[in-house]
Amino acid sequence: MPDAAIECHDLAKSFGNSSQALRGVSFAVPRASVCALLGHNGAGKTTTINILSTLVRPTSGSATVAGFDVARQAASVRASIGVTGQYAALDELLTGRENLMLFGRLRGLRHHAARRRADELIERFDMAHAADRRVSTYSGGMRRRIDIAVALVVPPRVLFLDEPTTGLDPRSRRDVWGLVASLRQQDVTVLLTTQYLEEADVLSDSIVVLHSGRIAASGTADELKCRVGVSFCQVTPADPVHLPVIATALADFASSDCDALIDQQAAAVSVPAPDGVVTFGEVFRRLDGLGIELADISLRKPSLDEAFLSLTSAAVTV
Amino acid sequence: MSALVALTIRTMSGTLRDADLLFAVLAPVGCFLGFTLALGNLIDTGLMTYPQYVLPLVLVQAMLFGAMTTADRAARDRLSGFGVRLRTLPIPPMVPLAARMLYCLIRAVIALVAGTGVAWVFGFRLAGGLGYDVLFVLIVLSFAMAVCLGADALGSRIGSVESSSQLLLLPQLVLVLLSTGIAPAESFPAWLDPFVRYQPVSQVTETLRGLAGGQITGLGLAVTTAWCLTLLAVFGCLALRMQRRTR
Repeated sequence: MPDAAIECHDLAKSFGNSSQALRGVSFAVPRASVCALLGHNGAGKTTTINILSTLVRPTSGSATVAGFDVARQAASVRASIGVTGQYAALDELLTGRENLMLFGRLRGLRHHAARRRADELIERFDMAHAADRRVSTYSGGMRRRIDIAVALVVPPRVLFLDEPTTGLDPRSRRDVWGLVASLRQQDVTVLLTTQYLEEADVLSDSIVVLHSGRIAASGTADELKCRVGVSFCQVTPADPVHLPVIATALADFASSDCDALIDQQAAAVSVPAPDGVVTFGEVFRRLDGLGIELADISLRKPSLDEAFLSLTSAAVTV
Repeated sequence: MSALVALTIRTMSGTLRDADLLFAVLAPVGCFLGFTLALGNLIDTGLMTYPQYVLPLVLVQAMLFGAMTTADRAARDRLSGFGVRLRTLPIPPMVPLAARMLYCLIRAVIALVAGTGVAWVFGFRLAGGLGYDVLFVLIVLSFAMAVCLGADALGSRIGSVESSSQLLLLPQLVLVLLSTGIAPAESFPAWLDPFVRYQPVSQVTETLRGLAGGQITGLGLAVTTAWCLTLLAVFGCLALRMQRRTR
């Protein structure tokens, strides 16, 4: 197998006359690494996965997966990949174990081999308690877990995970993260799509940011953050009630592509701090003058969220 | 080959649980009992007993019911994540269709045995001899195959699981009720006569009735065979084409 497990050259896809899902996408994923396709709904993530997993033909451009051309060697590509879609692709009437055995058989395992492999995966994925219940009774997290297990029945060289944690509770999401991280050690190349920036940050070696069918940026999470460049000053008031007041007071720190950002989850306000400690001091003086009690104030590198917003808004003007 | 077997077993174990196989048994048994008990004394079928008269229609109707569930299954395989995943597997693209058809055939055999079994209790007999019996079975099964292929093509084409079997409900009712299967042609108004006489359900049931009784006209057999082969060819081509459609 070549060094790049996935290579795309200028992939384009239009549906009908009007909508262009992809407008020339090129990237490569090194073997045994995890790459995240990051983007909003409609950015072209699923279309890219569908082309690479031979479900959809590109309008133009070419791609290879595990060294095979997706258009001309589709059968060899199919033999090398595992796919999980946005929705669990299981037979609801069958039990988890039966699904695992079925897909083992469909991938060419003999009956006994399929049974042994199902047992192994059930143990490894910690599903013994539910393996003999029908999939229709499973929770979202269980379903996703067995869905990924099914894609691994015959260990693929390339695994596609389309939004593997969409709709999962935080705990199940962390489970899936653990699973993906463990795949790297088994020489499996993973291409996953996600809208969760945090997820791309945690899981992947490289990130491709898609926006309106084009690549807005690519690189490691750190590289992307660096590309946005500036540091941020983050202010956390003791009482979240003061968030809007703080945002207003600091509004003039905001630049054109980086607004003062209220992060409701962290109950904090972030503003760009291009001058580092100088900005920090100014922010502190101003808030001190207002008499707002602060729980925390810090300088930090931009989060991937901020990098993402900045990169995609830049791409619009290109 | 093992993929075909695996997918057929998958459908079988699924339908044992969602009761489709149970329905395959109950539908012909229920229809036969319903027709016989409700209409047996009302409809004049000449010298022939009503069970002997109506069983062919009950079988044909069971095959049409089977086709309706096939449309559902094809639509589900087309739309569901499961079906999408099948298309990313290293198996020939026709295998899922072949598996659905194999299941149809198994379902048809079960319905045939159940329907004939209950009718036997009420006096239905296959009196034509082995050759006629074989033809009887062949015609029932090829009719089942033909309508299942058509329903499969429809289900694969249509974008929704709910509407595909609903769409088949009306043609199914028209073909069954306006046929010589339940009552002889004389019972219908004259203006309906040509349709009632020559539509496929009438032709097939009439031929089956002849084969069961040991009396068959060459023309009748020819027309029925022509219907079955034509439907098989047309629906078969459609069903294959639907599987080939890639975006």
